[in-house]
Amino acid sequence: MRRFTDYLILLAVLVAMIVLFGMVRDTFWSFATLGNIANRIPALALVATGMTLVMVTGGIDLSVGSVLGLSGAVVGVMMADWHWALPLALVGSVIVGGAIGSTTGAVSVKLGLPSFIVSLGMLEIARGLAFLTTNSQTKYIGADIESLGSPIGGLVISPAFLISLLVVVAGQVMLSHMAIGRHWIAIGANREAALVSGVPVDRPRILAHALLGALTGLAAVFNCSRLGSADPNAGVGFELSAIAAVVVGGTSLMGGRGSVVKSFIGVLIIATLDAGLVQIGASEPMKRVATGTVIVAAVLADTWRRKS
Amino acid sequence: MKFVLPLLFAALALSSCKPAPESGIESGKPKVALVMKSLANEFFQTMAEGAKKHQAAHAADYDLIVNGIKNETDLAEQVGLVEQMVAQGVQAIVIAPADSKALVTVLKRAKDAGVLVINIDNKLDADTLKLAGLQIPFVGPDNRAGAKAVGEVLAKKLTAGDEVAIIEGVTTAFNGQQRKAGFEDAMNAAGMKIVSTQSGQWEMEKANGVAAGILAANPNVKALLCANDNMALGAVAAVQAAGKVGQVQIVGFDNIAAIKPLLADGRVIATADQHGDQLAVFGIEAALKVLKDKSTPADQQTPVDVVTK
Repeated sequence: MRRFTDYLILLAVLVAMIVLFGMVRDTFWSFATLGNIANRIPALALVATGMTLVMVTGGIDLSVGSVLGLSGAVVGVMMADWHWALPLALVGSVIVGGAIGSTTGAVSVKLGLPSFIVSLGMLEIARGLAFLTTNSQTKYIGADIESLGSPIGGLVISPAFLISLLVVVAGQVMLSHMAIGRHWIAIGANREAALVSGVPVDRPRILAHALLGALTGLAAVFNCSRLGSADPNAGVGFELSAIAAVVVGGTSLMGGRGSVVKSFIGVLIIATLDAGLVQIGASEPMKRVATGTVIVAAVLADTWRRKS
Repeated sequence: MKFVLPLLFAALALSSCKPAPESGIESGKPKVALVMKSLANEFFQTMAEGAKKHQAAHAADYDLIVNGIKNETDLAEQVGLVEQMVAQGVQAIVIAPADSKALVTVLKRAKDAGVLVINIDNKLDADTLKLAGLQIPFVGPDNRAGAKAVGEVLAKKLTAGDEVAIIEGVTTAFNGQQRKAGFEDAMNAAGMKIVSTQSGQWEMEKANGVAAGILAANPNVKALLCANDNMALGAVAAVQAAGKVGQVQIVGFDNIAAIKPLLADGRVIATADQHGDQLAVFGIEAALKVLKDKSTPADQQTPVDVVTK
């Protein structure tokens, strides 16, 4: 029963939002809205999954928005300028993202620097590289990449959506049913104790960053497929949405505790909020105030349940 | 090899002893500083490239220093750039202000120091200039007229009473406000009903989310008017995702390279070209003219063309 109540508060927040938005704007309860939300989720779900793993170890990665921009820029150049096929571009993007993530992880772990600082530096580096790669120009790719983000057979579900669901499940399995997951949790809970009891502490942390980078590379492909174009400015502020989703899902900023599935519910909450605020016609300042309030409220509800 | 390093230092020291490049008036060749917004932005990049080409073709007439800021909203950095340019002894500053009010103070200091200031791209706020007792000529396009012309092309494809929505830029930007006003002028004149106006923050991804929301909330919307082409690309993707290709018309602004295939197949009907590569050049030419014949600088309007294919 405990597992069930774990999800209850988050789902209650989600349902409350859906009901409220539907009451303000009757068009909110429609297949069009469902399609919108399903369309926007994949990139955020992938990055939130990777971010959960990094945050469970007690780390953080602020560079994901820029890495999303850089990987997307690489996809743009590969597909629009070099006319490479989508599978090749996809592999290229994942490799670029994975390489950046590995670098952030290795520099932080091996040189003993906080991942907060290293990834902050990487945020600047990757964005600069994204502008260099594209010469600061938006690349139009078109139909070659759009299939990935288009609904299958006219339904609301796209291949990108299905793949992101699979990644969420795989992430949760790694975290709660595999040795690497136990290592991540042990490192995040108490690194010295983990070290003393023979748990490897360096490689699992680097691996978590590498996975996050690779997933961000995949997210960049999904993002490009949704937009049909690659924008070197893509993903500015994206790291904050990802971290918000993970924190709303109850993962501790201190490490040692977290759930990929709950992060995914966090993603649903953020995406529903975004879609709802647009549909009720909220102004830009109101959107920001409302988003911030919901993030704090959701975390507060989770903390309060834990204490009681 | 040991003496290589000292030698290098000596060389460096010598080179720095060379007379500093004399200020332009003595050498007869004015130094013009171009202070831009973010050079990471395609639009300003194009503008800066155009200016550099112009200087290369007129290398005998003037020297050019191009500077941009990292982040479009980093006002402090741009203020610092203006101060550095004044300290370097330039004769003229051609500036695309990151904010239409916040830059006025430092530009007044520049003018007081005897530097000619020409305003391009984003027009400085008239009231703030008056308060500061300052006159700075604006050389640039009329965004409102340009947006209105784009809106008029769109209106021909619609029937009076149709529902339309506007995706505007950053709401505090003057050129964004002007484009929104121009779209409204055209739509109101043609009797369209504007059911929603929301900001896409100039960004493709944000605009995509906003467009998708507008389409879901207003099933009868017939057109999306986007204040730049990047947002138009995001809107096109939203229309495709909603399965409404052909039912919802889209217009943009800026005529970036990525919009061309969409203009060709009609997914975007029209955009406006304000000749980005020439915008800084117009400002520089205005500055050079004033420096040369000591005339009083005046506002000058540069062309905006509607592009439909």
